[in-house]
Amino acid sequence: MRVRIDGENCSGHGRCAKYAPNVFRLDDDGYNADRGNEIDVPAGEEDKALLGIKACPERAISIVDA
Amino acid sequence: MNDNRSAMEADPEINPDVLKSRFGRDIARDFDLDDPRFNEQFDETLNFMVRKCPVVHSQVGTGYYLVNTQDEVRRIAQDWRTFSSAKGYQPNRPEGLPYLMPEESDPPIHTKWRHKLNPHMSPKTVAAYEQPIRDDVNALIDTFIGKGECEFISEFGALLPGWAFFKNILGVPVDDLPMLVEGVEEGTFGPPEERAGHFARVFEYLDTHLKWRQTQPRRGDLIDTIQDGVTYEDGTEAPWEHKVSILVDLTFGGIATTTFVMASAIHHLANNPDVRQRLIDDPSLIENAIEEYTRFFPPVVALGRTCTRDVEVAGTEMKEGDFVMLTYAAASRDPRHMDEPDKIDITREGIPHSTFGVGPHRCIGSNLARIELITTLEEWLKRIPDFSVKPGTEPRHVTGFLRSIRELQLVWPT
Ligand code: HEM
Ligand code: SF4
Repeated sequence: MRVRIDGENCSGHGRCAKYAPNVFRLDDDGYNADRGNEIDVPAGEEDKALLGIKACPERAISIVDA
Repeated sequence: MNDNRSAMEADPEINPDVLKSRFGRDIARDFDLDDPRFNEQFDETLNFMVRKCPVVHSQVGTGYYLVNTQDEVRRIAQDWRTFSSAKGYQPNRPEGLPYLMPEESDPPIHTKWRHKLNPHMSPKTVAAYEQPIRDDVNALIDTFIGKGECEFISEFGALLPGWAFFKNILGVPVDDLPMLVEGVEEGTFGPPEERAGHFARVFEYLDTHLKWRQTQPRRGDLIDTIQDGVTYEDGTEAPWEHKVSILVDLTFGGIATTTFVMASAIHHLANNPDVRQRLIDDPSLIENAIEEYTRFFPPVVALGRTCTRDVEVAGTEMKEGDFVMLTYAAASRDPRHMDEPDKIDITREGIPHSTFGVGPHRCIGSNLARIELITTLEEWLKRIPDFSVKPGTEPRHVTGFLRSIRELQLVWPT
């Protein structure tokens, strides 16, 4: 699974990393460290990633390749 | 007027007379955040609006709109170019109130400040305050546990958020907290003509604090970061008033909001022994329960933006200069995005709520607030597992653009 984190709309709610700490990392500001980029979700972490994506109030994470 | 709007006008439930008999006024065409009926019928009004009225209008003062669905609230909150924060977040803004940074500013000024302030409030930074906050939770509980009763707001709820923020981050004496809490409360819910005066006292106090800190050795804390300031796009340095207003905004956010979620969660648990028992049996559920309580008990009902151009929102034409409120409280119970939004379900997963706001102004204190709330429930349930609302009493709510509880009497066996 591959996801994209929107560079402008991520506003640092930190929900993604709370639900899927092995997928999403936060930077020192508390925003998604990979915003503006695509990342691969490690195998086995898909369900957690989906929860993080659902809980993001900005809808900032989209699935590029399921 | 497009289909969306005409459908709303044709709906028999949105007939002016039907609304008047149900809500005391035509809430679709003349909403009033300060109407006592909104305070009393809070849940019913939000549930009605999010389902039936994507946009309602108010004729109070110079008038304003309320936008109620999650998708529209998100779209507007993220589109800061069209919906500006620079003219203030409350409708019919009291005269003489200085603008608050970062809340009442737009990018790029807003971005500059947030980038400086964020590291002081990030999940990583505030994690270090968890233990001191937990100790304070216990110190407060110590003051009343032996009595077998307390008035939760004055003895706990109004104190902990101030302690957490003042002791760990701001460094102002907690003895001055009651004065600041009163200034903020009266400045928000007091008679509109007196609000600016109450805020002025808070400004004055924090102005003095910031000046005093200039005479002290650097601590490398949030206050030093604010002192250092930022350089705006046009090359000018952020003026003194902006720095003081940041302190005011942080203090305002730090003490006026978290109390309500905390008190509402405790109130819900007092009335629902089964939920309480579940959390006692499995404290790992507490973090998620807090997320659900935060969704369901929003202290920030709605905050506003000013249209920078003519624009259509869910079928309603808005004009440049119109004031539009994002009803975060309604958006957090949008049935289009969750099952049974009017129920409290502490095991609800991946809760997509907007209680901490949406867009670039996302609550900077959200990470700190979550720690305060989680540690409160964890320690409270360990020490006072069995408690209920004192017979013959009922909590009192007040509502405007914020919502708050004024009194919550609890009892427990000693
Ligand atoms: C449960 C507790 C809290 C809730 C529900 C809450 C809610 C909110 C909301 C909805 C906003 C968005 C404003 C907008 O859209 O214009 C906001 C912004 C803000 N909050 Fe909070 N807040 C809470 C706790 C705190 C705490 C503990 C602090 C500080 C210690 C704080 C400080 C602020 C500040 C400074 C802003 C302005 C941010 C900006 O404009 O960039 N809040 N808060
Ligand atoms: S939850 Fe969304 S807004 Fe928050 S840090 Fe993650 S991507 Fe950004």
